[in-house]
Amino acid sequence: MRAREAGLTSCHTCGLLVRLPASGHCYCPRCDSDLHMRKPNSLNKTWALLIAAMAMYLPANLFPVMTVTSLGSSQSDTIMSGVIYLLLHGDWPLALIVFVASVLVPLLKMIALVYLLLSVQRRSPLRKQQRIRLYRLVELVGRWSMVDIFVVALLAALVNVGALATIEPGTGAIAFTAVVILTIFSAMSFDSRLIWDNQGEPNGGTA
Amino acid sequence: MKPSDRPDSTVAEIIACHECDTLNRVPELAPGKKAQCSCCGFVLSHNPRGGLDRPISLYLSALILLVLANIFPFLTLEIQGREEMTTIIGASLALYNAGMGELAVVVMITSILAPALLIISSLYVLLSVRYRLGFPAARSTLSWISQLKPWGMLDVFMLGVLVAFVKLGNMATMHIGISLYAFCGLILVSAAAASAFEPHLLWDKLGFPKGRRDAG
Repeated sequence: MRAREAGLTSCHTCGLLVRLPASGHCYCPRCDSDLHMRKPNSLNKTWALLIAAMAMYLPANLFPVMTVTSLGSSQSDTIMSGVIYLLLHGDWPLALIVFVASVLVPLLKMIALVYLLLSVQRRSPLRKQQRIRLYRLVELVGRWSMVDIFVVALLAALVNVGALATIEPGTGAIAFTAVVILTIFSAMSFDSRLIWDNQGEPNGGTA
Repeated sequence: MKPSDRPDSTVAEIIACHECDTLNRVPELAPGKKAQCSCCGFVLSHNPRGGLDRPISLYLSALILLVLANIFPFLTLEIQGREEMTTIIGASLALYNAGMGELAVVVMITSILAPALLIISSLYVLLSVRYRLGFPAARSTLSWISQLKPWGMLDVFMLGVLVAFVKLGNMATMHIGISLYAFCGLILVSAAAASAFEPHLLWDKLGFPKGRRDAG
């Protein structure tokens, strides 16, 4: 038995089980959070944030995330060329971690969210357990993409004052941060309960 | 330990799974046990060993480590006799100085503000409940904690340190500061604290605001 069928909903903040009034909206008697049967406009919000993230994905990968100026010559690094540098000059396990965190994860995360959204909109009854696991994975790994931004910040902080070299963050860093943050918000606005909801009711997104 | 200090087992109740909306009857949980959703396996609630005392002590140590991690040098770089030092906050300041204010704010939030607020607000609620101090706004603070959680990225920051280390290793000598040791400790302690912290238990103890009763 699912809470929705019993006219109940659990508070997102404190977990209290509450019977919703006919209006479909009330405040949690225990913690005063807004209560809805489902997150309002979950699918629309998730799509909007996801599309915004996709729009930022290209500039994030094409523009340099940092420029190193050393003895008059300067060299710009994109996300990908940073990984290649690590592969050549560092060691490959670290290069692999950074490749996964900053190239694969954002891409796969966006693909996963598109799949989750489409499957909910098509009211697919298939592979619910796998889809919820996919959603959890997306929520879990998304933050690791921030690693590149921290690297740029640390390098800039360490090298800047020295006369020998300066490291400047580039526009790609802003676009990349936007991708990471927008996908985190996008995943947050997705209501995973919709995966189970969609049988036989129109537009599972609003309730 | 007085009998009243012993961690209570949680009360049997019905919980709707957060992730799939299945209604589960959750039995009383002995300390150290957790209840999972019958449909999707989501952890509905757990009753960590050590009750409220363990998260309190862990968050207190996290607070001390957080202060240590932020007041001492984090990394020192040596290029041909010249030394450059940075602190954790220096990372976001460098972005700000390079004209990237937006980025500086994000780094500041994820590396300092969110972790600090998480530790302080958790302690605030825990102490209020454990010692019945009745601090004001304990309920809203507890609601705020779950919102804050995804934005604390200490572990990711640490990976960033590792990468920066390798990238600069070829051109300069790096020295590890006291802060970095404190920071490593902070990551471990706050992970342990987070797993010993169960909001469910706190909500049960906080109960309903005065004059309001169960509506479910």
